[in-house]
Amino acid sequence: MQTIKNIYKAIYYKLFRLDDRLLLIIAGSVAGICSGLAAVVLRLSLEFMIEWLHPFRHYWWALVLPALGALLSSLYLEKVSREGAGHGVPEVIYAVSRYGGLLRLRSSYSRLLSSFLTIASGGSAGPEAPVVMSGSAIGSNIAKFLVLNDRQRITLVGCGTAGAIAAIFNAPIAGLVFSIEVILGEWKFVNIIPIAIAAVAGAQVCQAIIPGQVIFNHQPFNMMAVDLLPSLGLAVLTALISVCFTKSLRKIGGLAKKSFLPFWGQAIVGGCIVGAIGIYMPLVLGEGYRFIQTMISGSFSMGIFLTFVVIFAKIFATAMTLGWGGSGGIFAPCLLIGSLTGVLFHKVLFVLFPTVGCASEGAYALLGMAGLISGVMQAPLTGIFLIVEITGGYETILPLILVSSIASTMSHYIEPASFYLKDLIERGQFMRPGTDARILSDLSLNELIETDYIQVSENMVFRDFINIIKLSKQNFFPVIEDKTQIYKGVIQLSTIRRYALEPGMYDMVFLNQIMDAEVVTASLGDDLQDVLDLMDLNNMDNIPVIENDRFIGMIAKTKVLDLYRRELIMQTNIQ
Amino acid sequence: MNYSLLHIFRNTPFGRETFLQSLYFCNTIGAYPIVYIPKSDKFLLYFSNDAVQVDLNHSYLNAPETAKRHAEELFEDMGLKPMFYEPKNYTASTLPDISTNFDYLCCPRSISDLSSKIRLGHIGPKVRRIIKHASFPVLITGPVFKPWKSISVFLGGSENSLNALRLGLKICMASDLPLNIYTLLEKKGEEDYRELIRKNSLESLVAQYVSKWHFYGNQEFDTMLYEVPHDSLIVLGAYDHGIIKELLLGSKMEHIQSTVLNNLLITGPHCNISLQ
Amino acid sequence: MELSKFELSKYLGVEQNTIDRWIRQGKLPVSRRGATYSFCATDLKRWAAKKNISLNFEKQSPLEKKIGPLISLTKAIQNGGVYFNIQGDDVKDALNCSIETIQSIPQEFKPDLLVRLMEREQALSTGIGNGIAIPHPRTQPAYLNEPLVAICFLENPVDYHALDNQSVFILFFILCPDLKLHLHLLSSLSFCLRDKSFIQFLKSRPDPEVLIEKIEVLQTSNTL
Repeated sequence: MQTIKNIYKAIYYKLFRLDDRLLLIIAGSVAGICSGLAAVVLRLSLEFMIEWLHPFRHYWWALVLPALGALLSSLYLEKVSREGAGHGVPEVIYAVSRYGGLLRLRSSYSRLLSSFLTIASGGSAGPEAPVVMSGSAIGSNIAKFLVLNDRQRITLVGCGTAGAIAAIFNAPIAGLVFSIEVILGEWKFVNIIPIAIAAVAGAQVCQAIIPGQVIFNHQPFNMMAVDLLPSLGLAVLTALISVCFTKSLRKIGGLAKKSFLPFWGQAIVGGCIVGAIGIYMPLVLGEGYRFIQTMISGSFSMGIFLTFVVIFAKIFATAMTLGWGGSGGIFAPCLLIGSLTGVLFHKVLFVLFPTVGCASEGAYALLGMAGLISGVMQAPLTGIFLIVEITGGYETILPLILVSSIASTMSHYIEPASFYLKDLIERGQFMRPGTDARILSDLSLNELIETDYIQVSENMVFRDFINIIKLSKQNFFPVIEDKTQIYKGVIQLSTIRRYALEPGMYDMVFLNQIMDAEVVTASLGDDLQDVLDLMDLNNMDNIPVIENDRFIGMIAKTKVLDLYRRELIMQTNIQ
Repeated sequence: MNYSLLHIFRNTPFGRETFLQSLYFCNTIGAYPIVYIPKSDKFLLYFSNDAVQVDLNHSYLNAPETAKRHAEELFEDMGLKPMFYEPKNYTASTLPDISTNFDYLCCPRSISDLSSKIRLGHIGPKVRRIIKHASFPVLITGPVFKPWKSISVFLGGSENSLNALRLGLKICMASDLPLNIYTLLEKKGEEDYRELIRKNSLESLVAQYVSKWHFYGNQEFDTMLYEVPHDSLIVLGAYDHGIIKELLLGSKMEHIQSTVLNNLLITGPHCNISLQ
Repeated sequence: MELSKFELSKYLGVEQNTIDRWIRQGKLPVSRRGATYSFCATDLKRWAAKKNISLNFEKQSPLEKKIGPLISLTKAIQNGGVYFNIQGDDVKDALNCSIETIQSIPQEFKPDLLVRLMEREQALSTGIGNGIAIPHPRTQPAYLNEPLVAICFLENPVDYHALDNQSVFILFFILCPDLKLHLHLLSSLSFCLRDKSFIQFLKSRPDPEVLIEKIEVLQTSNTL
């Protein structure tokens, strides 16, 4: 019995704990399946609700529907699940970069419900970000249950994300690419395999429950060399629209904060405005997958001017929904705005050059989607692969790459941070692995501090101090008060050298006369980044650390460099 | 040494009692309290394997304009320097991350209940999760401020109650108050416990600091609880029970804290107490 | 072989709480049993080799220079001896006579030593003033077994090109195989020679025993 137990233990440790590949693949596929389920459930229930509410849309009072939905959703988030609002994706990125992907259990369901309320009632938002949030929270909590370490947990968060995106679009590669490009930010062998498997698992869940259905059906497209030139123009247009979208999202969200309404008041006002727009343009309501479908299949009937207006109406409605209390993501609005942009561009093109034989309207709608995703999220690969998978072929790949790369480059030029990362960058918390900010945030002062210092009393005579110097190797001597041990100042040998060589002064001064009481100090809770800035500002190589008026130790730049290098090796070397 | 205690301030008379307990605790063992005055009704604690969101009820946000002044007054009454904690990172704009680099945390028995609703016999689920994941001991205070004059350690056989004993010894050394050990003899005998102490090389410290080691028979749990002095700080280790085990067997900690109103200092399974 | 966290922190050259963090973040191969961690040496070695991380398994601590116990000045004087009435009219003469007189120097090395001492004198006089000189070679005479300090009182004061132009009446030879000990003896000696009363005492040409005793007393007031 004992031997069996030992063999089991050995296998367990060798197979699952030391070499965690198998463990991660199994746990990752579970995460993928769970988050895929969450995504499919949200998608189906949204379809059902939108179908059910459809007959009431043309009544005048339908304008309060989005308000009601946003109100319920914000009440739920604030009072029931007490989430602390946010878009979802930035929080996941924050947790991944700062806390090893630790997410709360409640995040795995709360966003699903709140975004269901928002979108089903007609709010203009996408179900993808909530699904990503819950998928990643599912992954994180599986890791928590298995007591995994940070690296493994981050992989599982990526698995959950990939499963969710893969399931909602039935596009496994897009899930994989989105998870790595946007959420994790590092392409590593150990991550890619479990995440790929999770993405496939998520897509399979979608296939199994909604068999044979691709989210957007379409006819084969014929893209030819003649389309390359127009797609350049489309790329520029989508870049401009995406910058406009990002800016208005932030502006209108900022307006809500200035409005001094309580959160439920904001939700009502925002919802009513969206509802009012929706009465005239039902296209802006909901996640808009149906309209995207009509555009791709080429049966979109609006004129040029109306299309143009609808683009901005949708931008405004999305910003009102998300900024004023609704809950949801920007992925689906991006797709809708993108396809509108593509259609608009095609129509204009057709008017200007009626003889040019370029591809159909649907193809341009797809290109526009890719352009907008690349522009808003600055994730060109996600845009490319999503569209490739939706169209199910490579006939559009050349213009796709062109549009995606140009759109993301241009919008990056105008607005260097993508919508997801903007807040994080502003708070200085955007820390991809291997970057300076990440290393500095990982190192804590506790690891760097050197504590074995002889402390001297402020009432000591200089002569006694000289004798201490003779015997000790340290260059800094903290000076403390006799009784209370309170830190008073520090003596740096290099600054007192002149006096130390002057025996006449030995009996003349006490240490409190020659110590430097003005030295800038750090405390243990400080971030290393701030401490280093402080040292640079004051031109110091060593800084004393004081906690509760007591001297704790010194931090030396040499030690920082040493550990920084080790940390860099550790962070960039994990295979 | 230099230990810190995090106290989440509540600007109500009930919160004042809790805060006085914290201050007294710090004063007695020579630690220093750091006060966090909540600005929103929730915050997050990131431990090594869990993120615990603590939802505060409205009383924590009571009268924010006087909170700081009240805290400072209480600090000064105790002759301590007021220190406040400002969260640096935010997971979301209303959700600050509170650092977990403290040596102690002070909690009322239940963090999110109204003070009127605080029942005995109930440790809030959040407090329980904090204890489960925290790398520091948690001070769970009684409802009313009462200075304690001795330390009682509940010593079972587990690794964790040895942690509690180490912590008790540490507090005893820092405070010069008498230390008693209370042990319920379940499966093992008196000698086994002495052997345990010897194996963990705590023997000399126990001989030096512990004034009496009380042993009780298997059925005398409630007798033991009664004989613990009413004005003593109880130090005990919490166990890492699974949910099922807890439902079936109930928790001993639960029983202790529902019967005894003393201040409890609880070391969770992730606490690491060293005697340095 | 299993390693503890403390040992590993030594091998990797980081603090223990860094190790804690690396375990938490999954950067180290570690197996966990309950709340304790253990590291398997072979796993660690394989891991470190794969990542080009240096593990100092073999050498426990950085090279520590072997320094013998510091010898006291009085002990060195007992090694060297005290000699009176040394002849000589100039520097070279005086040095030569002294070396010939000092018994603890092996005979075959005396010519070489004289050359070295003269080289040193030509570079810069070792006469430190107050009639005292401390002749010593610039490179350490490694052929000596023990450090020694020899005190030679000259018959007639010699013009030593000293700093204060006073004629020298006493020579302190410091002959030491090790530089570190040499510096130590030099510093102890100059501590004694700073004392004015001691110089007056020297001028009285005291007996060797009294002299050594006096130096011993002076040494105790030097904390170094």
